[in-house]
Amino acid sequence: MIILNKMISFYYREYKLNLSGFQDILTNIIFFFVSIFIFIFSIGPDKETISSIGIGIVWTLLLLSSTLSLRKFYQDDFENGNLLIMHLNGFSFGFITILKTFSHFIFVQLPFLLSIPIASILLNIANDKVIYLFSSFIIGSFILSCLGSISSSMNLMNQRNFLLGSVIVMIFSVPIIIFSVGIVNIEENFNSLISILFGVLLIVFAINPWASGLCLKLALENN
Amino acid sequence: MILVKDLSIERSNKKIFENVNLSLGSGKIILLKGKNGSGKTTLLKALLNLIEPSSGAIYWKGKLLKKNLYNFFNHVTYISDKTSSLSKLSVQENIKIWKKFFLSDISNSQVENILKTLQLDIYLNQKVNSLSFGETKKLEFLRLIIENKKIWILDEPLSNLDDDSIDIIAQTFEDHRSKEGSIIFSSHQESEINVSEEVLL
Amino acid sequence: MKFLVNPGNFNKFADYVFLPVLISSIILFSIGLIFAFYLSPDDYQQGSTVRIMYVHVPSAWLALLTYAIMTLYSIAGLAFRIPFGFIINTAVAPIGAVFTLICIISGSLWGKPMWGTWWVWDARLTSVAILFIIYLIIIFMNLSFENRIVREKVVAIFVLVGSINLPIVKFSVDWWNTLHQPATISKLSKPSIDPSMMIPLIIMTFAFIMVGLVIAILRIKTEIISRKSNLI
Repeated sequence: MIILNKMISFYYREYKLNLSGFQDILTNIIFFFVSIFIFIFSIGPDKETISSIGIGIVWTLLLLSSTLSLRKFYQDDFENGNLLIMHLNGFSFGFITILKTFSHFIFVQLPFLLSIPIASILLNIANDKVIYLFSSFIIGSFILSCLGSISSSMNLMNQRNFLLGSVIVMIFSVPIIIFSVGIVNIEENFNSLISILFGVLLIVFAINPWASGLCLKLALENN
Repeated sequence: MILVKDLSIERSNKKIFENVNLSLGSGKIILLKGKNGSGKTTLLKALLNLIEPSSGAIYWKGKLLKKNLYNFFNHVTYISDKTSSLSKLSVQENIKIWKKFFLSDISNSQVENILKTLQLDIYLNQKVNSLSFGETKKLEFLRLIIENKKIWILDEPLSNLDDDSIDIIAQTFEDHRSKEGSIIFSSHQESEINVSEEVLL
Repeated sequence: MKFLVNPGNFNKFADYVFLPVLISSIILFSIGLIFAFYLSPDDYQQGSTVRIMYVHVPSAWLALLTYAIMTLYSIAGLAFRIPFGFIINTAVAPIGAVFTLICIISGSLWGKPMWGTWWVWDARLTSVAILFIIYLIIIFMNLSFENRIVREKVVAIFVLVGSINLPIVKFSVDWWNTLHQPATISKLSKPSIDPSMMIPLIIMTFAFIMVGLVIAILRIKTEIISRKSNLI
């Protein structure tokens, strides 16, 4: 019961933190929309072209804008010592990464869910496809959160070149993009593709606490 | 309760310190003294099981620290050289978060009393990033009291504090000692805190 | 077999082995090139371009083999605390990157006359491109961390996570319908390649292995020396 109470207060803390930094999340969403505008202007406003590649654009930009906030994933808590305090209060490093991943999913990725309908209007995506987009986004964005946790914990001690963290997320997100876009474009394959996506989610979710927990421990030992 | 036996630590083939012996019982205050780079922070981190000793061992309640880690963590808290309060939130919100996170049953009037003795009560509704560095340092001690644990491991708690504040901190140390708590802290400056043992690194 | 895990023993072993490996790499390479260019027959479909295979296939094999070796040594370094694993990791990554690059370039040179395009986005080509980028990330990670202890462990973790890509590269031609042809030589079935082409291919593979070994020995030795003198 104690651990449950601590988890609830952890999320209360994350909620307060994200509320005070709400403009950061809004900036991510604005980045998302501005890049949609730029995409449309660079392709040209032809309706047919836009709706044929719209889903690819949405997924690409969701990926890019979620990598924008990666630096804040662990950096703040690492620098002010809160990671260590959490650890001293009975959370193992792996457990901290699981909690943090969920928190990133809820407070950073889910706000994009609201922006998808608007984006689909802008990009001329048919209404029945938006549902597929939603379902693939919920699973896919959780995978992105796990990958973000891995790469940002790897780069905690990397002062020179943080962009590497974004590159790591993007290189491992290639299968997610393939399957998520496939779900929306090939509707009759929905069941099989979403099971593959779910399988990827389980793999990444299993790797995440081990890899990022180890990296957090390393960073705390050596800073 | 904590027993350090012949501890020596090496990092990348460089010896940081050798053969340190310590024992921290209840009601004891230990001061770690030494120059910069003499390994004060490293020793404190080794006490928290963050750094593997190259030889020697640390015992907690008679068992090896590694085997008894989460029991140990129930009794220990730590101040690093950074401030753990969330700078975007106000002092009051920070206190609320700490009270929830540490499952503390401390009453509001007690918190107010402590704030008054730490001379922080006027800042209650201000954001932490508008406080000075010394004041955030004092806020850390409020966290320790809310956390309500036996052993305090403090890394340079007295830096950036003026004499008045150090007197207040000395008073909190005495209070903690009278509750059978124990403190181990590092410092490179002379202070008037009444310590029971000094260890030179 | 201690030279596989111990730097001192490796140094001794490398001193014995280096000259023979160097000489045999030169000999094998010259024999292999003579075979590949003059003694092997043209393919009845692909004509003379089939000779690109004698560079393309060995480099692809070695790109995968290098990553597999790095994966094994990462496990050794992380799980069994053998620091030699980290030495191998840092020393060998650029070699793998170069092999992957050779594989990609020769492949697209082969693809232009055969498929009519330098590059297609099918599963095999994409996964090899990802392998190349993973190698590059490993090299950049080795350059950008200040703290050596953190760096080598983080790189090892990244190598392990990235090893998911290895089976994808290997089996991509079986799992998906790709333009890239499936493997001609496999363990389970009789190779579908004529001995007159098989022999130069094997010679070239050994030549590549020897060249890789020469560079690897030199790089590992410099890595050991620079670690001993705490240069990094």
